[in-house]
Amino acid sequence: MKSVNKLYVVVTGIVIGSLLLVSVAELINSGIGVGARRAGQMQNWVFVGLVCRVIWAVGVILLGWYWLKLAGGITFIARSLKNNEPDKIKQGANAVTEELVRAINQQFETCRHENFAMDKQLKEMQIQLHLSQRQKRNTEAIIYSIRDAVIVVDEFDKLLMANEAAAKLFGFDFSNCQHRPIDELIGWETNEFSDLVRHSRQSKARHTKREIDFPDGDSPKTFDCIVSCVYDEREQICGVVAILHDITHEKEVSQMKNDFVSHVSHELKTPLASITAYSEMLADGEAGDEETRKEFYSVIQTQAQRLNRLIEDILNISRIESGLIKVDKKPVSLTILIEEQLQMIKSYAEEKNIEVVGQKPIVFDQVYVDRDMISQVVVNLLSNAVKYTPSGGSVEIRTEVDESGGIARVSMTDTGVGIPADEVEHVFDKFYRVSSNKKQAKGTGLGLNLVKQIVEKVHEGRVFVTSQVGAGSTFGFELPLATGQTVEAV
Amino acid sequence: MADRKVLVVDDEIHIVHVVAIKLRNNGFEVITAANGSEAYELVCQEKPDIIVTDCQMPIMTGLELVERVRQNDEFKEIPVILLTARSFAIEDGQKEALQITECLSKPFSPKELLRSIEDILHREAVVHES
Repeated sequence: MKSVNKLYVVVTGIVIGSLLLVSVAELINSGIGVGARRAGQMQNWVFVGLVCRVIWAVGVILLGWYWLKLAGGITFIARSLKNNEPDKIKQGANAVTEELVRAINQQFETCRHENFAMDKQLKEMQIQLHLSQRQKRNTEAIIYSIRDAVIVVDEFDKLLMANEAAAKLFGFDFSNCQHRPIDELIGWETNEFSDLVRHSRQSKARHTKREIDFPDGDSPKTFDCIVSCVYDEREQICGVVAILHDITHEKEVSQMKNDFVSHVSHELKTPLASITAYSEMLADGEAGDEETRKEFYSVIQTQAQRLNRLIEDILNISRIESGLIKVDKKPVSLTILIEEQLQMIKSYAEEKNIEVVGQKPIVFDQVYVDRDMISQVVVNLLSNAVKYTPSGGSVEIRTEVDESGGIARVSMTDTGVGIPADEVEHVFDKFYRVSSNKKQAKGTGLGLNLVKQIVEKVHEGRVFVTSQVGAGSTFGFELPLATGQTVEAV
Repeated sequence: MADRKVLVVDDEIHIVHVVAIKLRNNGFEVITAANGSEAYELVCQEKPDIIVTDCQMPIMTGLELVERVRQNDEFKEIPVILLTARSFAIEDGQKEALQITECLSKPFSPKELLRSIEDILHREAVVHES
């Protein structure tokens, strides 16, 4: 195509040359060369002029056509560029604009490559941004999902991040508190926690740990606080992360264990103290006569039995709590079971002049239980009722069946001393003894707890109690009825 | 010797009984109570030479009894032996604050208790004589 453009350069040269020749011929014809006027020469110059004019005219036409093509091509290119249709430029290319189109296309290609590279770079950056945002969300989700309170502050003590547990503990709304000075949010100057954070930052310790009590209504909570300094690449502290783990329950469990050991120690040592003292007196010959010796032996025997019962109770509760007790559930007639235990308690009740009124009404339904365990429940409740009822009082046993609920309900109502309202809810607690009733009778505080464990944990039943000081108490339990099992022979 | 009076306080009747026998066999006069409240009344009435008391009792504990006794100028010098079945019955400093002369943990030996009572009363007698 370059040849086309060269051709037009030649044409332009010819046009200009022919124009010059025409001009020369015109000059000659107009008499510049008068001396050379001869007929033959005149004709030659006219012919030359004519030829030159023809050539000039053809040249002008060709040039006109060339410029038209050029202008058309440029207009098309300009329109294609304006409409952002680079592919159309090629279609519109002609012999005149081919070079221009090629140059533009090359430029387009270069731009396209650069654009593509930039697009790629942009996409990579978008991916990086997306990944960073996702990572941030994941980190936030992890921190928010932690049950422990987590607080992150920057080197200027401004809140960067806090999870829900932290916001709840310190009583602020994180959405409104980001980048706010932490001392405004948690009483930075006075709080023991803020002291810990400050100490940690000043000592530049990687991790600092302390137990801190936080007020929470009537029951303060104890937190195990671990504060860690965050270091940047220049080993400068750029923030602090604090994790607060609620150990209130662990502390309570630990306290309960200590109390349990203390109670067990007291309860075991009491009969053991009698056994030790009486046996030493016997060994030292301090029991002067046979009657005194018999009395001492009797005390040793009863205290040894008390010790054995206590150990059995503790072991049974422990076995039930740990799920290690062997349970032998069978359909059992509640009527027969209660009657058997009534006979056992009869002599004790008569001794105290207490009337024990039998079951009203008699129930023939059976319960699906471990016979020995439920016998223990009935005898514990009956002996308690007799124990805490003054002479001349009564104990009434009532048995009911709720067919629709599938349960049997046994209640024992005494005319005893009763339990103060604020202590009723604790009577089934391990080692709990009603303070005002301690002088009434001896007890370990394990009997009712064992009842609760057997009924609720082993048999999925329910224990209940109602009481009025001076009027008496009603203790009872509910057990599931036997369904579809073999009926025990009555 | 016969005029030395010991107040034994415990809600465990068997313990009171055996200690009383041991002390009476060794020439002491023994008075007994089942809780701190009863014991304080006896302290006021009988003014014993020494008090042997259990720690955990209903109505009024042994520590409450000692506290009350120490508040009364007339009885604040009476020596006290505390019997306890709990490992941590007394907090740090409580023994000194309440001027508890001696602590014996259950189970205890009646012989050992007798020896402690005699030692304490002997020391008291020497102090008074001097």
